[in-house]
Parts: sequence; structure tokens; C-alpha cells
Amino acid sequence: MILRSLECRFLTIALCDAAEPWQLGSQDAATPMMQGIIDLHHDIFFFLILILVFVSRMLVRALWHFNEQTNPIPQRIVHGTTIEIIRTIFPSVILLFIAIPSFALLYSMDGVLVDPAITIKAIGHQWYRTYEYSDYNSSDEQSLTFDSYTIPEDDPELGQSRLLEVDNRVVVPAKTHLRMIVTPADVPHSWAVPSSGVKCDAVPGRSNLTSISVQREGVYYGQCSEIRGTNHAFTPIVVEAVTLKDYADWVSNQLILQTN
Amino acid sequence: MAAEGKVPTLAEEYSLPPKEVPVEKPAEEKSTTSTVAEVVPQKDTETSPADETAAPVEEKSETPEVKEPEAEEAIPSTEESDEAPEETEEKPEIVIETAPADFRFPTTNQTRHCFTRYVEYHRCVAAKGDDAPECEKFAKYYRSLCPSEWVERWNEQRENGTFPGPL
Ligand SMILES: [Cu+2]
Repeated sequence: MILRSLECRFLTIALCDAAEPWQLGSQDAATPMMQGIIDLHHDIFFFLILILVFVSRMLVRALWHFNEQTNPIPQRIVHGTTIEIIRTIFPSVILLFIAIPSFALLYSMDGVLVDPAITIKAIGHQWYRTYEYSDYNSSDEQSLTFDSYTIPEDDPELGQSRLLEVDNRVVVPAKTHLRMIVTPADVPHSWAVPSSGVKCDAVPGRSNLTSISVQREGVYYGQCSEIRGTNHAFTPIVVEAVTLKDYADWVSNQLILQTN
Repeated sequence: MAAEGKVPTLAEEYSLPPKEVPVEKPAEEKSTTSTVAEVVPQKDTETSPADETAAPVEEKSETPEVKEPEAEEAIPSTEESDEAPEETEEKPEIVIETAPADFRFPTTNQTRHCFTRYVEYHRCVAAKGDDAPECEKFAKYYRSLCPSEWVERWNEQRENGTFPGPL
């Protein structure tokens, strides 16, 4: 299992867009946002290891030398201006090096003022999701809307992930700015797709926006991340990114289906 | 800044690639002549320094009304390259277009954005008459932004005269 994880990490045949057993790292990035998050994680880990090694060395060394036989008189430092300056300045510099990329990522992530090409509304229900594609409407009633239910535990087909597969996937075009409007119809939900680096809370009476731009075609899995009831764990999200042309085909097919 | 083969920066990734689709001029004009007290954000606020988007002039096609006409019989067959996002023989014409980003609502919370567009549409209709063509875009905007449940409820409230907004 660990081998499989490593295989997924390093011998990438297909990119990991769904969780897998014993997974330690993130799923592979499908959006620049997720790439940014992974990069930030690695950046911070550099400092983390640095501090860990340094502090452990000091600690072990102090324990080692604090010994009655070899060092009967311990060092008695009560004051040292230089070391105090260093140990104040240095950590703040480290914090600065963490803060700058962190804020840069944070502000670039809420790219609310980027003009999207498509708006998709994800409406959380107990316990399924409704997706509305209303860019193609010509009246309030008519709308491209469908429900997305989880495939029950006892009848997934071969190759489908247990409790991660839905009957109707959200189809989105790749390499296109998408505006996801996230809102629930009953209790709080959360629309989260790890590969996209998106986790957007759905709060009743409020519509939240998150913009994503999926960079490659594929199927991405996520789960409701607001566990406030029995079946939130069973409302997965499946995003299927296709080419813009296929998306247009899909939309027109769906529109024909819905009008008939 | 980005050498070939390097991972593009966030800004580069986020800038739309210059689309080779014809931007319909009349559509753009129609959108700029906004009617009621209302401002359409004219230009993209994120001017990216992306050099992978070779033509910065094309970047202007990022303005709200990027039209990508599908199902256009006029497209010559030479343009049927696999990259071109148009083409579809199906009946309904799919125009990839949605409500533009609005600088009045720069936050994650878009509740007011939807509400404002809804109110704008109904004020527009009240001012210009029921089938004024310039109101149609507000209708498109609010339908894109509002969950249909909310629209239904507001329509009901308007009929009953209990709509809480300034109509
Ligand atoms: Cu939920």
C-alpha cells in the first residue's frame, strides 16, 4: 500500500485525482490554485525541517553535556546581548519568509474580479447536490439543472470508488475560468474538491463564490466538508473536466433532454 | 519570466489564453451602452504579466462579453482544427458567456451581487417596459448568479407585493 502511494507520487502514470489508501500528500494539482498550495506547503516544510534540526541539536547537546562527571560545573550564562539580538531577529526573518508567499497565495486565490466564462451553481441538499447551469436560460423557469446523488455503497461498478462516485457528474470545461456559486437549500454544506484546491462553505441564505480554472481534463473527486449531520459524509462531488467543445456538446445535449 | 518547461506562475496560469474565436463587436457595443444607473466593469482588473499569452492585444477579449459562437454554419471547414472551441451541429446555440465580475462585489459573499442584479432587472423593466432589449442582459446576469429557488421566492414576493428590495 505504501508502495502504491510512492508509485503514485513518483512514477506518475496517471495523476491522482481521488483519495487513495494510505495517502499522505495532497492529490495532484489540477488548478494553479492547488499548485500554489502545494508549493507553499513545500516552502514552509523547508523552514520546518530547518528549525526541527536546529532545535533538536540544541536540546540533545544540552542533555548530553549536562553531566556530573564530565562537566561538574554547568555554564551559567545570565545575559548575552548578541545572542538575544540574533534570536529575536532570526525567527522574525523566518516568519517573514513564510508570510510573504503565504499572503501572495491567499490574495491570488480569491480572484473574484477575474471575469469568468461560465457560472455553475452548486446547491447543497440533504443529501445530494443540485447543479444549475443557468447561463443558457431564457426564462426563470427553464434551466439546465440536475441532481447529483451518490452511488450507494452496495452497487458501485467495477472501477468506481466507494462512496465517491455520483450518478450525474458536474461537467466543466478545462482551461476556462469558472465561477462556482455555492449555497445550500437546508443546512450548511461545503463544496470541496482537493485537486482543485477549493473548499467553499455553503451557508444558508448566502451564496459564496469560488473561482476555479481546471488546467487539464480529468475526473476530480471531493466530498462535502461540513459534517453536521448523518449523511454529509455520503454526498460526494465529482467534477468532470472536458474540452470546451465537448462541454458545449454536453450542454446542448442536456438542454435537448431537459426540454423534451 | 517563465522559461519553457517551467511551471507557470499563478498569474500566468490564471490569465486566459488568447482565444482565436472572433469577438463579436456588436455584442461588445451592446453591453457597453448600459442603461440604468449601472456600471459594467470595462476592463479586467488582473492585468497579468504573462508572456505566454503572446498577444497582449488579445487580452482585451477578456472583457465581459467574450462571445464564443457555437453552432455557426458560417464557419469555414478549414477552421475545424481540434483547438477551435466552436462547432456543434446541435440545435440549441451555446454561447459561453456569463455575468461579468463586478467591482461592487469583490468579496466571496455574492449574495448581494445576485440580489442587486435581480433588482436592476426589475427596475429596468419598470422603466423601459416589459420587452426592452437592454434589460435582457440583467435577466441573464441574475439567472446566472441567483439560485433558482431564490428567484422563485422573489418572484412570488413581487406578486404579493412583499418584495423587500427597492423596486
Ligand atoms: Cu453536506
